[in-house]
Amino acid sequence: MVSKTEETQLSNLETQVDNGGGGAWEYLCLVRKLKVRRSDRVLKHGLSILNDPKKRSSLGPDEWTLYEQVAVAAMDCQSLDVAKDCIKVLQKKFPESKRVGRLEGMLLEAKGAWAEAEKAYSSLLEDNPLDQVIHKRRVAMAKAQGNVSVAIEWLNKYLEIFMADHDAWRELAEIYVSLQMYKQAAFCYEELILSQPMIPLYHLAYADVLYTLGGLENLQNAKKYYASTIDLTGGKNTRALFGICLCSSAIGQIAKGRNKDDKESPELQSLAATALEREYKQKASDKLSLLTAALKGLKVSS
Amino acid sequence: MALGFAVGVFGVLILFHAAYSTIQYRGLLKIMEEEFSGPPMNVVAELLLGLVFCIWAALTVPGKFLSIQPYSEENRIVSLPANSDFMIFNHRGKVFPLEMDVKLKH
Repeated sequence: MVSKTEETQLSNLETQVDNGGGGAWEYLCLVRKLKVRRSDRVLKHGLSILNDPKKRSSLGPDEWTLYEQVAVAAMDCQSLDVAKDCIKVLQKKFPESKRVGRLEGMLLEAKGAWAEAEKAYSSLLEDNPLDQVIHKRRVAMAKAQGNVSVAIEWLNKYLEIFMADHDAWRELAEIYVSLQMYKQAAFCYEELILSQPMIPLYHLAYADVLYTLGGLENLQNAKKYYASTIDLTGGKNTRALFGICLCSSAIGQIAKGRNKDDKESPELQSLAATALEREYKQKASDKLSLLTAALKGLKVSS
Repeated sequence: MALGFAVGVFGVLILFHAAYSTIQYRGLLKIMEEEFSGPPMNVVAELLLGLVFCIWAALTVPGKFLSIQPYSEENRIVSLPANSDFMIFNHRGKVFPLEMDVKLKH
């Protein structure tokens, strides 16, 4: 999870490293810790450390972690020669290692040799049938080949065994959203909210899915989850504020035809609209007129 | 940090001095054959002062307080990590290779 302070720290280090200010190793450590995908930079700065024998030996045992990181980054950038060299070094140091075996499988994947990669993964799974990462790699491989239905099937099988793996739940939810299977995606996001209730982004994604599904009940629930996102972020999430406005407007349109007593309080939407206006005034005052026009169209601004 | 630690040591010394004065006072009362009704004013003042110093040192020396509010800058989550276990390689990076001659030297 990347918090606000860590994000600023990362971007500061990034500009420092890109401008040649040093701190490459700290940057690589932070990238690894936050699990962000900056493959081009990792490849560039990681190689500059690995190619300098003095810097490399000063890392001690962390050197091998860096080799692994650079190998994966190189595969991501399609610099397959570099990845191959890194894996060769690792294999010399750790023969018979499962982790290096996995890297070799990934190299085959990056080359597009799907059948061989599959063979490599199955032989690794024979030794250890409960290796989570290799199960995930097979799912990713199915996805990379475009067999999304196979990927879903495997992911569901995987989640029957490892139910607490929230990364896998998130992946499944994203796949379902990409296929417009919103009911299934909503179920996955419910699981994610249950396992990590303090992460506002899951509340937000769940609310988005509910809003997309439509219908009065779903819209009301979506509004609640947008509100909980605002609660968890202290109102600093613009998407959630817009979500409140859109939900209120949609609920108003549905409720107009029916003659039910209006239980919705109008305060929430007008508060969200005010918060949006204040934020736009602060950060992008030239676009304020666009915002007020849009809010007027939704009939939420007071 | 150093100041907080010094204040803490000073506070503990004051507390010890208060204990010592109380014992001395009770010895004096035994000689004068009077009943012990309560500690003298200067001991009470020393106790209060020592308490304040010790609390202040205990709150400053161990380190800074961390925020527990979910919306504070340290706790507010702005982005999820890249799901690197499910990373796939056939993306647009394949079509636009990196303009860099990178090589691992041995």
